[in-house]
Amino acid sequence: MSIEQASPNPIRLHKELAALWDTPAGWGRLSAVNHTVLGKRFIVAAFVFFAIGGLLAMLIRVQIATSQTAFVGPEIYGQIFTMHGTVMMFLFAIPMFEGFAIYLLPKLLGARDLAFPRLTAYGFWCYIFGGSILICAMLAGVAPDSGWFMYTPLSSSTYTPGINADVWLLGITFVEISALAAAVEIVVTVLKVRAPGMSIDRMPIMAWYLLITALMMLFGFPPLILGSILLELERAFGLPFFDPTRGGDSLLWQHLFWLFGHPEVYIIFLPAAGAVSMMIPTFARHELVGYRAIIVAVIAVAFLSFGLWVHHMFTVGIPHLALAFFSAASGLVAVPTAVQIFAWIATLAQGRPRYDVPMLYLGGFFFVFVLGGLTGVMLAMVPFNWQAHDTHFVVAHLHYVLVGGFVFPMMAAAYYWLPHFTGRVSDHRLSVPAFWLIFGGFNLTFFLMHLTGLLGMPRRVAFYPVEAGWDWLNLISSVGSFLMTIGFALFVVDLVVQVRFGKAFRRNPWNARTPEWAMPTPPTSYAFGSLPHIEDRADRLDADKLGAELAGGSGYLGFTRNGWLETLTVDMTSGRPDQLLVLPNQTFKPLWSGLATGAFVLCLLFKFYWLSLAALALAVASLLAWTQGMGAREDVGALPIGRGEVAAPHWETERPPSWWAMVFCIAAEGTLFASLLFGALFLWLVAPGWPPPDAVSPGTILPVLCLVALGSAALGGRGALAALTAGNSPSVWLMLACASHLAAIVLLASMAAGIDDPTAHAHYATAFVTLIYAAVRSGLGLIFAGHGLWRERGGYLSQARSLDLRIGKLWHDYSAVTGAIAVLAVFATAWLVGSAR
Amino acid sequence: MSSPAAKMAHGRNARLLLMAAGFTIWAVAFIALYGMLSVGCRFGWDRIDAVAGISVQRLQLLVLFAVHVAAGVALAVGLRPPFPREGAGGHFVRWVGYWAAVAALGSTVFSFAGVFALTACY
Repeated sequence: MSIEQASPNPIRLHKELAALWDTPAGWGRLSAVNHTVLGKRFIVAAFVFFAIGGLLAMLIRVQIATSQTAFVGPEIYGQIFTMHGTVMMFLFAIPMFEGFAIYLLPKLLGARDLAFPRLTAYGFWCYIFGGSILICAMLAGVAPDSGWFMYTPLSSSTYTPGINADVWLLGITFVEISALAAAVEIVVTVLKVRAPGMSIDRMPIMAWYLLITALMMLFGFPPLILGSILLELERAFGLPFFDPTRGGDSLLWQHLFWLFGHPEVYIIFLPAAGAVSMMIPTFARHELVGYRAIIVAVIAVAFLSFGLWVHHMFTVGIPHLALAFFSAASGLVAVPTAVQIFAWIATLAQGRPRYDVPMLYLGGFFFVFVLGGLTGVMLAMVPFNWQAHDTHFVVAHLHYVLVGGFVFPMMAAAYYWLPHFTGRVSDHRLSVPAFWLIFGGFNLTFFLMHLTGLLGMPRRVAFYPVEAGWDWLNLISSVGSFLMTIGFALFVVDLVVQVRFGKAFRRNPWNARTPEWAMPTPPTSYAFGSLPHIEDRADRLDADKLGAELAGGSGYLGFTRNGWLETLTVDMTSGRPDQLLVLPNQTFKPLWSGLATGAFVLCLLFKFYWLSLAALALAVASLLAWTQGMGAREDVGALPIGRGEVAAPHWETERPPSWWAMVFCIAAEGTLFASLLFGALFLWLVAPGWPPPDAVSPGTILPVLCLVALGSAALGGRGALAALTAGNSPSVWLMLACASHLAAIVLLASMAAGIDDPTAHAHYATAFVTLIYAAVRSGLGLIFAGHGLWRERGGYLSQARSLDLRIGKLWHDYSAVTGAIAVLAVFATAWLVGSAR
Repeated sequence: MSSPAAKMAHGRNARLLLMAAGFTIWAVAFIALYGMLSVGCRFGWDRIDAVAGISVQRLQLLVLFAVHVAAGVALAVGLRPPFPREGAGGHFVRWVGYWAAVAALGSTVFSFAGVFALTACY
């Protein structure tokens, strides 16, 4: 392996690195996998969706400005408020945070890119295509209209017979793929792809926030994905999971939705809180007070936020004791949130605060978010919740929390980091009036909604009678919303002015002390000319001095080699460098995969089910094509990484980022499977219409053979790895794994086919789906085993290069264990049904 | 394939889970109590006396509550200071793990204390 040893000349190093890392011009832009490029694209796209959501909000406010101003009927109004909530939650808030994370994270961690650049690009295309489906449906007049939470039975085919609900279920699931891809990307990047020396206790606080948020996404999104799949199965094929006349229960949908929906609020808030924790120390000119306490608080928020979901369901008829569990947790989550707020106040009190525009917006955040938090505690109390449920008081609360907890901090973040994006600073002439218009307009709009809510005005009504006496309050709310819109328009104009006409500066205009400012701005595609060695907490750096040193190539990897895009990974805890991570070049493959996935979704939407199988096969094939050319056909061994140290390329190490990605994918998939088992148990316990006429009877021989096949598949995966690391060919073992997975698929499908009529009762439907789901997992196992064979034939495997088989082994083991659980779960529910009869 | 150094690294990395251990106990307690509350109500355990006028339903919930509080106490005691020096990051992990365990223990008591008094199935 040759090293094109760089001279100490920073210009030459820049040219060499830019030639490798830069995104091509023209159509080549579509091949971008670079985090800086894709982060910006995510942010711009999210802002476009924010504008669309904002326009819909204006329509809502016009409709209910007075009792006489209604201009659309309830059907269209249903589409407007459903799309407003859907766009703001799924197409603005989450992708905006993802965009910030994608853009900033490698720079905060002292790395050159994220762990999986092509996954970033694939996530971007899924987001764009999924969002476009929703917007096109709205323009065609068939947008979802059952509320952003899609409660059944309103969203079931009986009451929403068109494709409106399908657009939501399929479009949002498509976007969720993007969110899960980003979550895996962020978790693995924070844990592994850091600058040498950045031990776990030296990470910038934003990295902690993003890590914990991404972990929440891994466990929070699968219940919604499962719910969407089940509801789509019910709508498309009549499997009755939510139909109470056939053993289903609409409350199951509410549980699955809010199991996602409440953590979602904190998934939106925590990254913004991370940005606050980065900005306040800079403007306070004092390091963050309570760094460790904040980490404990964020961990607490992350867990507690999963114990609140039923406070959205306090009125559905739940025992007092259960209400107490959820009420207590709902109140309790205010405590760790307050710890963070007091830490920020303490940082300001300890420092010498200086005013600038981001601080103005942070002031707005403090005021609005604290008010929203207090009404949140009110709503956590069951007796008050019963009174205010489904009124405009709740609308006011959620906007105070979400706009206060996300939009104001993100506007502050925009002013704080925009110089980083553009290399220009603003004179901020428009930012101050923009703030006061947004702040004043927001409070005028939403504070008054507390009052209309307390006066009894329900949510989601297209009309209200003049006798109700809500006209003046609603009119003032509507006027406030238009003031707020003018403020947002000024904000956009101000950003455009800064981007076009701002004054250029050299670097670090705020005198910040975190790694992202230790680089030229706007940033280069490779972020750092060489990677830093972090010797203190990463918010105590001299960014100016460090930046000049790194640009000169004095850190790690201050050279180019073999045309590789290189960065380093570290031991998660100690931060010692342990692998040379070689990243993929620019490629169109993520775009093709996104298009194929989009084709699959569209086929389902328009009910071309047989064609959808072809699209799915195309999507899988396109994803498999990503591995083409990755890795090496010969052992490389440890390579120099600078500063006298060496590291092996990641494919010759035991646990590179892709191995960890599989671990976290399995965690997310396991959550989805656990949610399905929860659903089956819930229906048996709670749903009306149980027990069904007969219990499913999977027999004895097929299940036993299936367990044998699943075990054999795991054995094949393990045997293949053992053979390879012993210096032998893994082919026979991989063929065993293939054959075993194939047998498991046939057996599981046979058991599912043995269920007479899965549409007759929820018991049959859950058993059917549980078995088919296990078969799908074995299908993936078959692909992994076949892929191992393909890689062996291609010469990519050796004793040292066993990564493909180690990733496969994780899946073979997992699919065997969960396949066995699926079979046993079918037996268990059948036994429970039989004993109940 | 694991070298001794790699095994040590795996052990170090596994200790990161300590930071989530306390609240994992809280989460398990939540699932266990909410799940068993539903099961007990389904089978009418609240109408069956176990001992001294305490129903089977309340008794099983109290046992679950006590088990999880005991687990939380054991974890907090096991992680209590002084924290051993375990190289870069190790001390920090123990510190965060301990205080998260203390916070989780308080959360467990606060969240589920209703098992002592509130009606279980109505």
